[in-house]
Amino acid sequence: MRGLLRAAWAHSAWTRACAALLCAVVALAVIAPDASPWGVDEIDWDAIDRGPSARHWFGTDSAGRDLLTRSWAGARLSLSLALLGTAVSAAIGIPYGAIAGYFGGRVDQAMMRAVDATYALPFVFLVILLVVAFGRNVYLLFIAIGAVSWLDLARIVRGQTLAVRNELYVEAARALGAPRTTILLRHVIPNLLGPAIVYATLTLPGVILAESFISFLGLGVQEPQASWGVLIADGAREMQGSWWQLAFPATLLASTLLAVNTLGDALRDALNRRATLAAPRE
Amino acid sequence: MVIAACVAASAWGANAAEARTDLRIGNGGEPQTLDPHRYNLRLEEAILNDLFLGLTTFNASGDIVPGAAASWAVSEDGLTWTFQLRQEGKWSDGHPVTAEDFVYAFRRLLAPSTAASLAHFMYPIRGAAAVNAGTAPAAALGVRASGDHELVIELARPFPFLAERLIYPTGYPVPRHVIEAAGDGWTKPGTMVSNGAFTLHDWRPQAVVELRKNPRFFDAEAVALERIAYYPTSDANAAYNRYRAGELDAIGNFPAGEIGWLSKNMPEHLRLTPLVSIMYLVYNTAAAPFEDARVREALSLAIDRQLITARVLKSGEQPNAGLVPAMVPGYQSALAPAAERPARLARARQLLGAAGHTAEAPLEITLRYISGGESKAVQLAIAAMWKDIGVATTLHHADLKTHFADLRQGEFQVAQAGWFGENNAQHYLDLLVSDTGDVNYGQFSDAAYDALMRRAYAEPELAERLALLAQAEAVGLAKHPVTPLYSVTTRALVHPRITGWIANPRNVHGARYLAWR
Amino acid sequence: MAAYLARRGATSLMTLLAVITVAFFLIRAAPGGPFDGERRLPAQVEANLRAAYHLDEPLIAQYGRYLLMLGRGDLGPSFRSKDFTVNELIASGLPVSLNVGGFALALAAGLGIAAGAVAGLRPGRRLDRGITVAAVAGLALPPIVVAPLLALVFAVTLGWLPAGGFESPRHVLLPAVALALPYLAAFARLTRGEVAEALAAPHVVTARAKGLPARRIALRHVLPTALLPAVSFLGPAAAALLTGSMVVEEVFALPGLGRHFVQGALNRDYTLVLGTVIVYATLILAFNLAVDALYTRLDPRIRLGR
Repeated sequence: MRGLLRAAWAHSAWTRACAALLCAVVALAVIAPDASPWGVDEIDWDAIDRGPSARHWFGTDSAGRDLLTRSWAGARLSLSLALLGTAVSAAIGIPYGAIAGYFGGRVDQAMMRAVDATYALPFVFLVILLVVAFGRNVYLLFIAIGAVSWLDLARIVRGQTLAVRNELYVEAARALGAPRTTILLRHVIPNLLGPAIVYATLTLPGVILAESFISFLGLGVQEPQASWGVLIADGAREMQGSWWQLAFPATLLASTLLAVNTLGDALRDALNRRATLAAPRE
Repeated sequence: MVIAACVAASAWGANAAEARTDLRIGNGGEPQTLDPHRYNLRLEEAILNDLFLGLTTFNASGDIVPGAAASWAVSEDGLTWTFQLRQEGKWSDGHPVTAEDFVYAFRRLLAPSTAASLAHFMYPIRGAAAVNAGTAPAAALGVRASGDHELVIELARPFPFLAERLIYPTGYPVPRHVIEAAGDGWTKPGTMVSNGAFTLHDWRPQAVVELRKNPRFFDAEAVALERIAYYPTSDANAAYNRYRAGELDAIGNFPAGEIGWLSKNMPEHLRLTPLVSIMYLVYNTAAAPFEDARVREALSLAIDRQLITARVLKSGEQPNAGLVPAMVPGYQSALAPAAERPARLARARQLLGAAGHTAEAPLEITLRYISGGESKAVQLAIAAMWKDIGVATTLHHADLKTHFADLRQGEFQVAQAGWFGENNAQHYLDLLVSDTGDVNYGQFSDAAYDALMRRAYAEPELAERLALLAQAEAVGLAKHPVTPLYSVTTRALVHPRITGWIANPRNVHGARYLAWR
Repeated sequence: MAAYLARRGATSLMTLLAVITVAFFLIRAAPGGPFDGERRLPAQVEANLRAAYHLDEPLIAQYGRYLLMLGRGDLGPSFRSKDFTVNELIASGLPVSLNVGGFALALAAGLGIAAGAVAGLRPGRRLDRGITVAAVAGLALPPIVVAPLLALVFAVTLGWLPAGGFESPRHVLLPAVALALPYLAAFARLTRGEVAEALAAPHVVTARAKGLPARRIALRHVLPTALLPAVSFLGPAAAALLTGSMVVEEVFALPGLGRHFVQGALNRDYTLVLGTVIVYATLILAFNLAVDALYTRLDPRIRLGR
């Protein structure tokens, strides 16, 4: 994994810039909401729906709350939710793919056929039904979103497992009579983690976008909590009269997605290059 | 709740040499039905008003005027109402509109099999509740025809507001001869027959409801418009864009943030009208902490209505300390004027302390509201005001369905609610009567209030009745079961070349009165 | 091939049944019911309503009743739109969604693959860089920002295109573009990567060493294999474009199925929600099947019936 990161870092100056940007976003998401002189739910009665000023750098929203504070509080929540959703999808997808790939044969066929079938679910609809059913708890909701977005990961991990399974050291362990579960846990899964994490990175933007989509439909997190989705959905409704309500949170979200996508790509490139070096294709 | 307001009116950007006769209206949402007995939404009322004509109706200014009935008389005891129908009244297929049609309509509305969700609108009629519950035969209903064009309605108790109640679609006649032939499909375009100024021409779900002028309408000569298209613009931004792009002639709602820009750039389009309505907070009086009237009073005292209407809402909403909207005519509130805010806050803190909520153990509550719209900003402002007296408020929003489902089931502490509709005090004060049922969300029950309300119900004299109602309001609100906040302002954009769009507190604008200049 | 399709068909039917079951119990688990208005509904009236829609029966009986009804091709009456059946509502909304979704898919796949191929055939050039950056940017812009922006700029400010409604092909343009953008970017990225990789493959390097013209190499040796992943991406993309149209339907006031679904879910219109889910699941299943069939046609390496 460390080698991968180094390779990704060496990818290009653009990648390094994105990495720096992402670090900055994460750092500010951690620090900024508490460092700000304004509270997340504090109303400035004298500046309701006002543009950027020395007092409120990002302006205020329609309720008179400081958008700078809320944008970073939103970053904190949205990123945590995205991590949560991604972690859930990894927690399901990685073992699922590993088991299918490792055991192969009928088990593999049955498990992958189930994945193929699940691809046909109208996910957006299920997510909305989940919101309507679980609407009260946003964490529960993102666990649910994670639980329906593990399919890609499962497929990729299965492919990787098929490759790892035939590696020399696994064959050796098998020859020594190690039980299957030990081989799976000790040798197969650890060697999968690198690629799995890389591909999990690629599911992160999807979960962030899902949050914004749900918020647009009015089903997002509860006030006074802020998330990028809620801020952008509110901002998009006010953009004709109050551009700042949309511009700041949308820029934050877009640049974060840009950075995550770029980094994910770089990591994947690095992974592929390593794979190409290690084993000539076919 | 005033979420889907409705409107009427015109097209801009058209270089009409001669006056246009079509109208494209953004109606705020898709009608769930065009059956007057099954309707439930204000946006359906707008369309039904144009399609049908009840015994009474409203004019361009929203005042009650004769409709299908040319005149009516009330007996001395207030219990018997006799309506004289117009001789020339006709259905759009040429059949005459008779008193029998009305008898059929009232029976259909109240038949259990119709499952009309607003059937209770007609409960003042003798036998209505029993017929609706299925415990009495349809014939027990106090509505009968005493001639082709004379209809008699007998009431269970005096109800001076009947003429107003009859303007709603629940009081409209429906064509028996069509319904019996077509069944539930009678509301389909091509099948529906109506007696109003317009007829149903087309209805594509989520796309458009199109009406055409009814040449058989009794006052057809005075109707200028030939075609009306109602678009289900559920998204206020989409409606606003379409209006600005000249695709709609009138919209009943637009994003609140645009008021500043509009009043500067398109003032002749902008119509801000106070609606007879009350937005309020309701406390669950059946559970802690709001079973304690002191806590309710403290929270009421901490709210600055002026700040909410002037700083947050900014569309001309009227702060309203009483449950009855101030604009209701003839009603004189008996509430004492409020003290200055510092004194109110001090008193609020004192009350909270007395109830055991101190700085060490602050009161923590959840305030529920409906997702979407600008109600969010209002609830945030209220939470901030409560913070001033040391109350920690968690906000919880849900869609309209869930919100009111929670309220009926008593799953709330304090919640946003709203009431609108009729322009009389009783309509609002009914909310707090202990046996009112679901809409008394907080399950408020006060013997003194109930007794005063019962005396008012039995009082045939309007002035006496209003005095009793005002007394009841003062007695009830002293217990703070609710905190009234403000009366809503409807925000409409109407093309300036449309005439006949007259601001009125009901916010009703019958298309038969509208025309292009 | 026939046996393969039959087996896939059977799996699809089972999937469909699973979807119906999940959706049925999910929507019924949601708090609130179809008759919760804000105004009072007397107990008797509510009981009348519930009986009329069989809501007074046990849930499992209702589920059985629903499946039986479905077997007859009847999706039931709509709870919310009392004057229409769910079949009628879907018949009116589906063409709109298919129109917008189909146009968006054509746009995304057509332009995306073309741009990706152009970029991939000249890796590292300025055009490649430009397309790559645009694609990454396209993926980073959420539709909830893009759609209202497009409406504001092209409909309200410039007045070039309608701001809403569904009356002519011009009405489809803006929503389809808003819907297509992220997928256009995804197609471009995918194709670019595959094409660049194929260019480096040994047989292409050999062909180039033999001095074959670049155009011939591209058309004969690079594109046929490099485009296969894009073909298999058509399935998920179509599914996402069809089901993802709710935001643009809302922003552009389109009378499509997505709006029916959202309204239905919010109003607990059980039959409408289930009906839309079933229609979409069927569409996606059918489309995936078609893409698979196409894929096996294009790729001789795939052996069926394994």
